[in-house]
Amino acid sequence: MTDPLIWLIVLPLAWATLAFALGPGRGAWVAMAGLLAQLWLAFALAQKIGAGGAALSHAVGGWGAPLGIDLAVDGLSAAMLLLTQCVALPLAVYARSYFKTGDPAGVWFWPLLGFLIAGLNALFVSADLFNIYVTLELVGLAAVALVAAGGGAQQVAAALRYLFATLLGSGAYLLGVALLYGAYGTVSIATLTPLVTGEAPRLVWIAGILMVSGLMLKTALFPFHFWLPPAHGGAPAPVSALLSALVVKASFYLILRLWLGPLQPLLPVFAWGMALLGAAAIFWGSWQAIRAVKLKRLIAYSTVAQLGYLFLIFPLLANPAALKAGVIQIFAHGLAKAGMFAAAGVMIKATGQDTVAGLAGAVERLPVTLFAFGLAGMTLMGLPPSSGFLAKWQIIEAALAQGYWIIAVVALAGGLLAAVYVFRVLRQAFLLAPEGRAMATVPRALEWSAFALAAASVLLGLRGVELMRLVGGA
Amino acid sequence: MRRFLVIAFAAAFAAALGSAMLELAPSPLDLRIPVAAHLAQSGVSHPVTAVLLNYRGYDTLLEIAVLLLALLGILAVVGKDNPSPPRPAHPVLQTLARLATPSIIVMAVYLLWAGAFRPGGAFQAGALLAAAAVLLHLVGLLPAWSMPRLRLRLGFVIGFVVFLMVSTALLGQGALLKYPAETAGMLILLIESALTLSLALILAGLFLLLSRDQGGA
Repeated sequence: MTDPLIWLIVLPLAWATLAFALGPGRGAWVAMAGLLAQLWLAFALAQKIGAGGAALSHAVGGWGAPLGIDLAVDGLSAAMLLLTQCVALPLAVYARSYFKTGDPAGVWFWPLLGFLIAGLNALFVSADLFNIYVTLELVGLAAVALVAAGGGAQQVAAALRYLFATLLGSGAYLLGVALLYGAYGTVSIATLTPLVTGEAPRLVWIAGILMVSGLMLKTALFPFHFWLPPAHGGAPAPVSALLSALVVKASFYLILRLWLGPLQPLLPVFAWGMALLGAAAIFWGSWQAIRAVKLKRLIAYSTVAQLGYLFLIFPLLANPAALKAGVIQIFAHGLAKAGMFAAAGVMIKATGQDTVAGLAGAVERLPVTLFAFGLAGMTLMGLPPSSGFLAKWQIIEAALAQGYWIIAVVALAGGLLAAVYVFRVLRQAFLLAPEGRAMATVPRALEWSAFALAAASVLLGLRGVELMRLVGGA
Repeated sequence: MRRFLVIAFAAAFAAALGSAMLELAPSPLDLRIPVAAHLAQSGVSHPVTAVLLNYRGYDTLLEIAVLLLALLGILAVVGKDNPSPPRPAHPVLQTLARLATPSIIVMAVYLLWAGAFRPGGAFQAGALLAAAAVLLHLVGLLPAWSMPRLRLRLGFVIGFVVFLMVSTALLGQGALLKYPAETAGMLILLIESALTLSLALILAGLFLLLSRDQGGA
């Protein structure tokens, strides 16, 4: 155990391959054992960085940048690694009960999950722009395959649309990386950062815009969100949870990396444009969620809205509190949305209907699940003491400190809109069930893993200080 | 109208990109110099292979995972559909394919071996072998694949497993994929041989798993 950061990449690759070799539908236990070890590693890594405050790095092949590829972990990456393992483990427990043996959607779930997690972990530790492209492909392809797996024509169509969007996004990113390589002769972030200045040639501007627009498409920022609701709303519940909680955050993390790193002299010109799109995403996503007929569509549109908050921080980044607010929002939304999709999956399995209207009577049969949904909703609305409250509080405080009250207004309005769509679901669940409607029983593991995720999103609000300290060291 | 807008946008983008390329100064860093300087320690004498398997071997490791993932994606979508029945035999084509296959295999082994000192390597060799499999399938000598059995699954992953195990074992040298200079050549050949087999199977699988005749021909 020389380097936890290496094992966070090697372990999921190893168990994904093993799960594939074991055959269709197998590998759940290997995956859960691997994820448990990874969770421990991510905690150890976060502790090491939180205590020392310094970034860790690893030169793959012993060459060092610019010839070789460097891996680096600072507070921001350590936080993302921690979130990934924290969300993946309960969802693995959930998925094992969700996919009954022989379910065509779950046949290759475990190897796909392993490659997805490996791609995410590799992305968060990479310090090399081209290597990041490879990890983006790993994440994107695994996500598309998970959406398409075993689905009907409609689901495969949604997956195909997702594939085109994600390929166009990574294609634009790759073109940007190629242009940067042409201009500076290196793809190492550390080597590149001092070379890029405000007087950079036009080509570098084009490269920066291409990379960030590609990543915005992959993050589903309004108006690039068109692919998200069908893909996240149509996939099986554990997959929707993984995609909404983790996959869209990976490309956002990358925008943040570029913004704070090599492209810092160029990008802040666009800060208000980003915030404007973020605000539009909050209003449009919430409005669509309020109108949605299907439960998982509602949650998917809520993801569009919640991603908007992340883009509100760009004009505020001069204040270090803004970055902390962003990371807490990533955590809050990641845990809450994973819990919410998991809870929705339970309700859909029990009632046999996927509409909001079909939920009537759910409260009697599924109190734990409904409680989980409510807790996750609390975080999305930003009620105290949830982590969502902490995130919104930090954004509003940073905005007011710099005199940008408009951002504070948008954040508050978004919370109110979230309350509307969350209570729409809760109200329906408290109605009496129509006569003679039977509900299927669902495994306990499903209900409790959804509950664990949602409860974590609320409880994190009480331990947010540690998380902020971790990121502050970055 | 919409098509016109798209064409106009693409043309404007190409013009902006082209004009920006023209004013570009030579880059301050030239990676060819360090690539050549460390070639002696890399275990191979061809710079492209040195970059792919040694300097940036980690990229290649993840690329193999991407290929495996593409295969998994197809398996996940195709499910348990029955593949098409064998194509009708065509004696002339079958004889030609039978004649071509041995020389394709010899050529692939040569490309694998040549990768150490001239253009070639596991990707090229694997692609050639996969082409042979597709050829045999098209003339009706090799049936399409459905759900792969254990032996085939092991074939798919063996290249990646060898690569991952060597990379991880080299952590003992101080870093992932840090080859000791004296055994680098041998380890790279080991990885490339296993990769050739797996890449051939994966690339052939991308075709043979999707082979479904519509109405027959």
